[in-house]
Parts: sequence; structure tokens; C-alpha cells
Amino acid sequence: MTLVPLQAWLVRVFARGTLAAAFMHTHWGWPAAESVHFIGLSLLFGTLVVWDLRLLGVGRRIPLAAAHGFLRWTGIGFALSAGSGVMFLMAEPTEYIYNPSFHFKMVCLVLAGLNALAFYVTGYGRAVTRGAQGVAPRAAKLFALISLLAWLGVIVFGRLLTFYRPAWCGAAPNGFVADCVPSIEQQTTQHSR
Amino acid sequence: MEQVGEVYNDRVTMASAYAVLGSIESSAFSTWLRESPSLLAFPLMLSLHAIGMGLAAGINAAIALRILGAVPQVPLGGMRPFLRVMWAGFWMNAVSGAALLIAYPTKALTNPDFYLKLALIALALVAVRALNRRVFASPDATDVPPTRVVRRLAVASLTCWAGAIIAGRLLAYTYTQLFASWK
Repeated sequence: MTLVPLQAWLVRVFARGTLAAAFMHTHWGWPAAESVHFIGLSLLFGTLVVWDLRLLGVGRRIPLAAAHGFLRWTGIGFALSAGSGVMFLMAEPTEYIYNPSFHFKMVCLVLAGLNALAFYVTGYGRAVTRGAQGVAPRAAKLFALISLLAWLGVIVFGRLLTFYRPAWCGAAPNGFVADCVPSIEQQTTQHSR
Repeated sequence: MEQVGEVYNDRVTMASAYAVLGSIESSAFSTWLRESPSLLAFPLMLSLHAIGMGLAAGINAAIALRILGAVPQVPLGGMRPFLRVMWAGFWMNAVSGAALLIAYPTKALTNPDFYLKLALIALALVAVRALNRRVFASPDATDVPPTRVVRRLAVASLTCWAGAIIAGRLLAYTYTQLFASWK
């Protein structure tokens, strides 16, 4: 199994955002998007930490159902970061799609998403937000811990992106995932295989 | 003649300032931070700086939003334990920020934007401390509706932190001199 064709496809899809790319390559485009990305990160992470730490037992004066209200702002922070993040991808798709730090960042992001999904699907979300109890069940605390670690991973691997900029591939990549940028010829080699 | 003397004095001051910056840059710690391939050098400091930012500006945002009427069901006094986490984030950033400054002192200190960032952080601290004094000082007074002054301080803290984040991001785009030796 290989994700290399998927990577090539993602590069083509994001490269269609030519208007966004044009904006990003103006003088202040990139720093403007970065500013939005970091303000979104702060809003996302700050409100999420309040919620997750509340699940773990910090600030017990706040009813769990009330603290859950902060997650709306986590969502707004995420929208700011995801929106600006897509702008980076449309401007320089290969810089991210072939960057190993980006791969780890996306793994952490998917983990955080699945963890949040599982929290609600398993009924813990409802139990915690509808119940009047001040102490979250132990399993809910595990969800909170995984959430904090996954988001820390997203931040750290995001910050490490610049240290793992992908180079051009020497030979056509044939592993599970490419961490170098294949040339057009190398991509066609991949497809004909 | 007097003018010539002033220009001369300015040049002497500049030369000694660059000598100080240059000696910081050539110190073992500064060189290690910049040039070590270890993830514990520059990459760790950058990562800590982003995490601390999320904790300091982010938890402040949560408190400020509560003051401004978002999530009204949360008792404001209940937010008090999170202040420690917010300040932990702030000190994480003071330390990692100092390390980043030691790595590239000329780059930061010759950039007016760096002083703008510091000024915005100072203003944010003034607003946050004034807000904390009014909201979290006495344990029983915290659940009354916030006064107009407190609401204004909340807006000020949000604005200053957002401004500091933007000024911080712009540092990488506005510097004119990387090292003291490049005059």
C-alpha cells in the first residue's frame, strides 16, 4: 500500500486554488495568514485546555455542562486556523504534502478528531454535558488526556515544519508515503506501475 | 564642531552596542541554539513558544470571553484555577523567548517591530493584572456581573494579545539585519 498517488492528487487539488496562491504570494499575504493561524491556535488551544482540564478535575466550581460551552469558541479558533492553513496549502502544496512533519501533524489532527468523535459517539459527551455531576467519569478523563496530547502534537509538528522542508526526490518514491517532492516524470512512473 | 562630536559619539555608541550583540552571538549557548542539529535547540524553543502562547493568550481569551458574555452559564469565579495555567504559559514564553533572543539578538533588537511586540505584551500584562485584581481578588465577589471597567479591560487584553501575536509573526518579515557582523 502506498499513499504516493494520493499525495500527488492532493497537490493537484490544492494547486487549483490559484486565487488564494496569488494572495499568499503578495508582500503581506503570508504573514497575514500566519497571524490568523496563530490567533486561531490560541483561541482553539486556550478554550480546549479549559474544557479538557475541567474534565480532568481542575476548576470544579464550573459545572461540566457549562464548561462545555467553551467548545463553541474552540470551533471558531479551529475554523480560523483551518481556513488559513488551507491557504498555505494552496500557495505551496508540495511544501506540506511531502513534509514528514506535516504528516505527523495530520496524524495528530486526525487522532484529535477521532478522539472527539468517540467522546460523543460512546455517549460520554451526553453523560457529561447533560448530567449534573461535578466529577467526570474516568473514561472521560482519558478522552481529555488524549485530546491534550494530540493537540500538543499538532502544535509541535506545525512548528517543526520548517526544519523538514522536502527536497526533490532522487528516484521515484515507492514507500508508504513520499517525504520528497517527485518530479512530473517520477509521478508518471509511479502511475504507470 | 559640536555636530561632528555628536555624530562621533553616536558612532561610538553604535559600535559598542554591536560589540555587545556580537559577543552574545558568538557565545557558546547562542551558537548552540542556532546551529545545533538537535531538536532540543531552536526547534524546542520555537515549540515551547507556540504552546506557551496558546496557554497565555488562549486562557486569557477564555476568561475575557466569559467576562464579555460568552458562555454566561460558567461562574466567573470558577475560572480562578486556570489563572495558574495561564501564567505557566506566560513564563514558558518568557524563558523560550529569551532563548530565541539570545540565538538572534541583532535580528530582534535592530527591528522596531520587536519593541512593538514587547510594548504590546507589557500592555497586555497591565490589562490582565488590573482585570485579575478586580475579578479574582476576593473569592465571593467574583460571581457578580462584570463592571464596565472589567469589560473594557477584557477587550484590552484580547486586543493586546492579538496584537502581540501579529507583531511576533511579522518579526520574520521585517528584520533588516541578521547578525552584528553584517553592517
